[in-house]
Amino acid sequence: MSGAFSHDRHSRFPRPRSRTIGVVRLQFTNTQTFVWVPVLVLGGVWLITLIVYWIISASGVEGPMYSGGSQAPLWYFAVVGAQAMNLTFYFSQAMSLTRREFCLGSLVAAAISAVGISLVFVLLGLIEQATDGYGINGYFAYLPWLWEAGPLAAGLTYFVLTMLWFVLGFWFAIAYKRFGPLILTISLLVIALLILGGAALISANQAWPEVWLWFVSAEATGLALWAAALCTVFAAGSYLTLRRLTT
Amino acid sequence: MTSVIEVRHLTKTYKTTTALDDVSLSIEADSIYGLLGRNGAGKTTLMSILTAQNFATSGEVEVFGEHPYENARVLNRMCFVRESQKYPDDSTARHALAGARLFFPRWDQAFAEELVADFRLPLKTPIKKLSRGQQSAIGVIIGLASRAEITFFDEPYLGFDAVARQLFYDHLIADYAECPRTILLSSHLIDEVADLIENVIVIDHGRIIMDEPTDAVRGRAVNIVGDADSIQRLVAGREVIHRETLGRVASVTMLGRLSEVDRHYIAEANLDLTPVSLQQLVVRSTRDETAEHTDSDTDVRSLQP
Repeated sequence: MSGAFSHDRHSRFPRPRSRTIGVVRLQFTNTQTFVWVPVLVLGGVWLITLIVYWIISASGVEGPMYSGGSQAPLWYFAVVGAQAMNLTFYFSQAMSLTRREFCLGSLVAAAISAVGISLVFVLLGLIEQATDGYGINGYFAYLPWLWEAGPLAAGLTYFVLTMLWFVLGFWFAIAYKRFGPLILTISLLVIALLILGGAALISANQAWPEVWLWFVSAEATGLALWAAALCTVFAAGSYLTLRRLTT
Repeated sequence: MTSVIEVRHLTKTYKTTTALDDVSLSIEADSIYGLLGRNGAGKTTLMSILTAQNFATSGEVEVFGEHPYENARVLNRMCFVRESQKYPDDSTARHALAGARLFFPRWDQAFAEELVADFRLPLKTPIKKLSRGQQSAIGVIIGLASRAEITFFDEPYLGFDAVARQLFYDHLIADYAECPRTILLSSHLIDEVADLIENVIVIDHGRIIMDEPTDAVRGRAVNIVGDADSIQRLVAGREVIHRETLGRVASVTMLGRLSEVDRHYIAEANLDLTPVSLQQLVVRSTRDETAEHTDSDTDVRSLQP
């Protein structure tokens, strides 16, 4: 029975110096959410994309092939964010943690996971760059627009976007627990209407070309900075919503 | 004695209900408190607010002289595992205990292992596949082995069989003797915990209706066993809160203390005095919150022949 604990029975267990680091370890207790499923999503989509590229190139189509498959793990990080909240918050309260410690620790855990997935992304991109798209001119990670400023900038952009989706999922899960499904749905609808309103405004002013121009001129790194700013805002929003959440 | 928890005029209202109504309490260090009351009386709400898991509508809470909300310094010294604690999905008891080991500064690993063996808790089964009693055991083990300076047990024995409950009580008392700390145990199995708790707090409809040392509560009534007729003569005119009869033998609990004359009569009539059931007293005070009025006048009444 006690075999699981047989080590260091008599010595003091090395406790994390900070309880926030403890939250990171708590989040990684469940390796499925933070490690295996993201790896599986990335690996799975990569494999499928390669097979599609192979079929296309086998049928004699020339020219480079690009796909948006590498963004699949980004979306999944919204799920990771929601899981980090739903699965661990109530236990963290039983561990006498403050909401601040839980929030920070969860963000650090997500950052570690996002760094890992971004490294894989950069590595794939470098391989594609070196092998001219696996020899068949097919690119999964090496997207020119993203890689314009080099591998570091590409990795950073990928990292920030991953974090953005995590924080969004995290915040929505908190809002759901705090306000319930009705208010969450209403606020989602309001956000959708606001975005549509913005789009209508741009259309009415026939400003779409300028908007696209802005996106292109902002470049990947510029976009990453904007996304980082949004991340900060959403993270602050998450903490403020979590502050008054009861168990 | 120093107080570790001070609660002043604490009120918690939800949209339609009042969970806590002007509660004022003082909890002393190194003592076991029984927080008793019916379901929905406000026990869990009170514990949640004390551990900053819930928020007061009005009133003040101080734990170790500070407000517990978002206060790691204070929370660090407390442990509150809920009656139906939620654990991370797919986590096992081993994960939960490893987590507790990370966060509770006074955690005793050897003690935790002993408890795991005693409660026969499977460590590798996902928690959601454990039986209700086994899930409760996780909470009990965390609560005991964390050795937090203030430990809350909220109906910790849900799904426990009699053996597991006794194990919990025995471990609690033994470990408390070794490592004195403040324990708040909420329960509705009043007679089972009666011998553990040094202080009784009874809460009903969100109000504190009793907050006294257990001995003082017990001293408010006497239980007499013996010949039904003889007992009838003794208790005539007094407030009887519980009566059981079997043939000619009766067991009667009545409010008030015994006078010298009473004791003499009891000896002559061959009646026995037995320990008063705390449960009877609590049930009575919960049923009728104006219990106080009977205290003074039954005390002085003498035996009516």
